[in-house]
Amino acid sequence: MKEAFMPGHAVADTRTTGRALGSEVITPLVLFALTVLLVIASRWISPSLGGFHQVAAIIVLSSFLMVVAFGQQMVVLIGGLDLSLPSLLTLGGILTFAWSGASGWSLIWILLVVLVVNGAIGALSGAGIAWLRIPPFIMTLAMGIIVYSAALGITAGTPRGHPSAALGSLFSGRILGLPPIIYIMILFVVFGTALQSYTPFGRKLYALGTSPVAAHVAGLHVAWLTVATYAISAAAAGCAGFLLVGYAGGATLVMGQSYLLPSIAAVVVGGTSIVGGRGNYISAVAASLLLTTFSTIISSIQILEGWRTIIYGCLILIAIAALREDVPLWLNRSLQRPSRPPQAPGAARSTQ
Amino acid sequence: MSAVAGFPQAERQRRPALGRLLGSGAVMVTVIYLLLLLVYSLCQKNALSMTQFSDQLSNGLPLALGAAGGTLVVLMRGFDLSVAGVIALADVLTATQAGDGQLGALLCLAMVVGTGLLVGAVNGFLVAYVGLQSIACTLATMIICSGVALLVLDAPGGNVPDFISDNLTGTLLGVPVPLIIALVVLLGWVILRKTNWGVGLYALGADETAARLAGVPVRRVKFLAFCAAGALYGVAGMMLAAATSNGDPGAGTSYLLLVFAAIAIGGTTFTGGRGGLLGSMIGAATLMLLQKVLFSLGVSSFYTGIGQGLIMIAAVLIAALSARLARRMPR
Repeated sequence: MKEAFMPGHAVADTRTTGRALGSEVITPLVLFALTVLLVIASRWISPSLGGFHQVAAIIVLSSFLMVVAFGQQMVVLIGGLDLSLPSLLTLGGILTFAWSGASGWSLIWILLVVLVVNGAIGALSGAGIAWLRIPPFIMTLAMGIIVYSAALGITAGTPRGHPSAALGSLFSGRILGLPPIIYIMILFVVFGTALQSYTPFGRKLYALGTSPVAAHVAGLHVAWLTVATYAISAAAAGCAGFLLVGYAGGATLVMGQSYLLPSIAAVVVGGTSIVGGRGNYISAVAASLLLTTFSTIISSIQILEGWRTIIYGCLILIAIAALREDVPLWLNRSLQRPSRPPQAPGAARSTQ
Repeated sequence: MSAVAGFPQAERQRRPALGRLLGSGAVMVTVIYLLLLLVYSLCQKNALSMTQFSDQLSNGLPLALGAAGGTLVVLMRGFDLSVAGVIALADVLTATQAGDGQLGALLCLAMVVGTGLLVGAVNGFLVAYVGLQSIACTLATMIICSGVALLVLDAPGGNVPDFISDNLTGTLLGVPVPLIIALVVLLGWVILRKTNWGVGLYALGADETAARLAGVPVRRVKFLAFCAAGALYGVAGMMLAAATSNGDPGAGTSYLLLVFAAIAIGGTTFTGGRGGLLGSMIGAATLMLLQKVLFSLGVSSFYTGIGQGLIMIAAVLIAALSARLARRMPR
């Protein structure tokens, strides 16, 4: 019976290792291609779409999502979920708005302070998850509520500050005809991908996400890795808040709320497994671009808001279904299904 | 199959009573609830009156039903985000389409349950038969549902028939109707968890491969769990419309995270296979009571979130500690 069961095992193994290697390259390529096709096709919807300026606008708009998704993706990679991102983004925005307005160079200090404050809060979440074994879902949800409530109380509902011209020029300025933020985002994506895929730290996260027990046995400091991941995620959210202040010229208490679900969407459309251990940042970047393109095009169509929302949801559903890495395998299995049931009870009997 | 069904009972009989109580998430959350109720009754005079109780029930029931449905999916290690969409959709459907009188209410119930079943069936099909990640496809169905809700009613408003809003929040033979609804749901759950489907649900959450090898029809169990969850969300939306007397297409979003908080406080683990509907529903009641307690303690409404967050963490910690104590008890 053991021999009879082995082939099934081998098939399962090729799916998880052999195909995953391929999907690391295929998923982002398909997503980028879809985005480009959509942008080109959008010319038919409206002549104002599909041009060079619109591409730049989409990249600028999606930059905040890319930064937030960087943190969310790392947390999902180790099998968690970060629900505190909206509050932490808001906190980053409020801090930036309160202190900015001075000369350009002080911005770097503000960014550093935001990263440190947010990183400390994220580390606290990570500590609760790693040492007190609080489920990530509940720890980050509670931390998000606490941070939001503190921000609400301290600002008494209306964040005060001055818009920063230097920060705004990241979006309004031009270097070689493009807003400077685009060059910064390219650096960020390269840095993020390198950190995740080519550093020992990043590879350890994959090990941790695949099996925490195995990672521990292999000598990894599981607790510290968890703390570091949540700290980085929180810092990334703060960074997104920092940038958003530059784009919007101010901060509000709800500025983070519209980024929670898109951050999850970007991560899962990018093919990252919610149970951890699989996925890569470049796919999440491509998914952020695709999602932003979806919403940009949809918002230019003259239809009811309800229909826009429905179309957006359907497009996400189609993207998820189309990007399943094992679509061919599923077809195979569906065709072979009639032969499977007799095998399962047989295998069960043999183990007893 | 019978071996799987017999196992929890056998284990239960071996454990001493105290260990059993400490190990149950539902019991721990009940203790936390009663403690909060004690604090509330000390700082609010009429806290234990019938009207207060009835009020809390009708305000808390939508969350409790949503959490009950979500628990079914969390038990098998899934996430069902469509709860927000279905609650909003059922809410606006009740506020715009429901007729008056008994027949209208019955038809409305059929409509919201049918809507929930439909959405649940789509989720269940995509997760169980197509193999999509539950969080991914329920995110999409949630967005689609909230879009449909916007089409049905584009701004808060509408009109809930008096029959529905009066009867669902009133009393029947002296017993609050929301309590009756909650008990009916729990009774259904008590019966269902003894069936092959209920046992399969726990087996599937604990170890999917083992469940499949033991002969649990994994796909069908998953599919039905999403359907049942959808139906419960539908009823939750109708209850919300009855409690607020109007419809709001954005009503669901505030429930999304609260539902999962209620499930976690109620002792259902997100790693699957442990917990139940009773804990989640009491967890929902605890969350609602918590807001009242913080308010009556004079905490500025700006800062109530801090108390809420801390108590959520404390509740989960207490539950984990007591479970650990239960495991250390001599058998």
